[in-house]
Amino acid sequence: MVNHALVLDLVERVGAVATGATFTVGWGADDPEVASETVAAWCERTGNQLVEVGDSFAVLRRGRAADPLLDLDPDQLPGTRLWMYTNFDCNLACDYCCVRSSPQTERRALGLDRVRQLAAEAVQAGVSELILTGGEPFLLPDLDEVVAACTSQLPTTLLTNGMLFTGHRLERLRRMDRQRLTLQISVDSATPEIHDSHRGKRSWKRAVDGIRIAHEEGFRVKVAATLPAEQLHEVEPFHVFLDTLGVAREDQVIRALAHRGVSETGIELTMESLIPEVTITADGVYWHPIAADHEDQLVSRELFPLKNAIDEVRARFVEHRQRANAAAAWFPCA
Amino acid sequence: MDPILVGAVAYTPNVVTIWEGIRDYFADTDSEMDFVLFSNYGRQVDSLIDGTVDLAWNTNLAWVRTVAQTDGACKAVATRDTDTVFQTMFVCRTGAGMTDLTSLRARRLALGSKDSAQAAILPVQFLAEAGIGGDDVELLRINSDVGKHGDTGRSELDALRAVLDDRADAAAIGINTWEAIGRDQLMPGAFEVFWESPTYSHCNFTALESMPDERIQPWVDHLLAMDWENPAHRPILEMEGLRQWVLPRLEGYQSLFDAVAAQGITARW
Ligand code: SF4
Repeated sequence: MVNHALVLDLVERVGAVATGATFTVGWGADDPEVASETVAAWCERTGNQLVEVGDSFAVLRRGRAADPLLDLDPDQLPGTRLWMYTNFDCNLACDYCCVRSSPQTERRALGLDRVRQLAAEAVQAGVSELILTGGEPFLLPDLDEVVAACTSQLPTTLLTNGMLFTGHRLERLRRMDRQRLTLQISVDSATPEIHDSHRGKRSWKRAVDGIRIAHEEGFRVKVAATLPAEQLHEVEPFHVFLDTLGVAREDQVIRALAHRGVSETGIELTMESLIPEVTITADGVYWHPIAADHEDQLVSRELFPLKNAIDEVRARFVEHRQRANAAAAWFPCA
Repeated sequence: MDPILVGAVAYTPNVVTIWEGIRDYFADTDSEMDFVLFSNYGRQVDSLIDGTVDLAWNTNLAWVRTVAQTDGACKAVATRDTDTVFQTMFVCRTGAGMTDLTSLRARRLALGSKDSAQAAILPVQFLAEAGIGGDDVELLRINSDVGKHGDTGRSELDALRAVLDDRADAAAIGINTWEAIGRDQLMPGAFEVFWESPTYSHCNFTALESMPDERIQPWVDHLLAMDWENPAHRPILEMEGLRQWVLPRLEGYQSLFDAVAAQGITARW
């Protein structure tokens, strides 16, 4: 049974706020399903927006909110880049690893066939760059083919700890497309101490050697550093060090440590606070690579069609932003 | 030249958004404008007459009162398309068996604010024209937003609540409120219309007769050029509840002039 007074309340409440502002109506102990249907129908008819429905209330906006996707820098639009976790096992076991990788971690490889299909569908879906990460991708025996499946479609970046450029693995590296592939190697400090304290003894030296080898082989190398947020202001000596390795300034990426995986500290990153980066693993589609091992940021178990996965991430982002904007409007700063 | 100063009554916070939008629309034209918000129509009409504002966005009652106070030395220069075909709807509970105004004999009719043309003054006039006098129907007057001439719609919503609560058998409301509640479609089984009034005119931009045409005409021309199909204009038109600004339909005010005279409604407040 429709609560008739509810519609009258809606009309009165919407008149009391300006366009873009939100307001809440309650329906007490009425059947929430019927009440929320009535509210939704009224919104549809009157050009107002249903922001959130609870058991006994709904939050509405007078008029419609602007599209949050339009507020983003075009480069931040979800689906501009596609992240793929090629595998989860790693030769290292860094203490801040956001996906809990280690030599004991199960591989959970995405596999050549799926990578090939994803890369092809990515082109159709308007993706402009592919990013491969792990775990340590160079542990895969078919990494050269996985990389070729990507570089044949789009410019690709391959994240690695840079420590495994020997023997067969070096041969695989040599077969990769230098024009289309950028290597991104993790180094956390200008001297071994900090890096090794998180990533293991002698890992700094081997990573720095890896950068040199990659350069010798003719690859463009980006360096990504993961620092505790409080150290982010002391980065200049680090930049100077990377300059000496021949890494271009625009290829020196320094980011804050996230509170994820086995890391015990770091800035909190949630779906609400993170602009999504569509991420694919063997287990599903995730909101962001930083949480590719965490159920709370699982978007879908279905990888294909990739376009649907990207659309779903965008839709959820719009939903989060609109709810956050409504909350922000609800708690105005004095 | 000084910008044209337009007065409007602040009956909802949205009025600020609307008039800032309209002001922006006139920016960088030959007839720039600014606006002043009043808390009630009485004060606005006073300010039009004393020259504080050049134009007043008036309700139909404010127009009738401006005519009365200036002895007709005023002019209506523009209006919304929706203002030329305004109506009052008489509604009752669905299935109450009312068929026309005579069904109201010996029943209770909820009216909105006493200064609302659509929900109080004209309904009484329509009843009188149908031969129903003050003794034939019990009037429940709900004066919840006096001064704003019924613009907030609150008294009309209260009149509908009175019908739902069985404190009244019927209510007289403006067609805009009827639309806002989704006509009879969002609340099946709640209300039905048993009589619709003839169309009449509602708001208009009022100027004094002494306002030179060469000052006001470019402003009116630019207002009428606002285009529903233009995405930059559309939001203002939607918020203000029209598709097109048009010239006023003056004969549409006659029923209200008649009602004001018959009911002895004063020329001020
Ligand atoms: S942070 Fe990178 S290198 Fe370290 S364990 Fe995780 S995947 Fe391996």
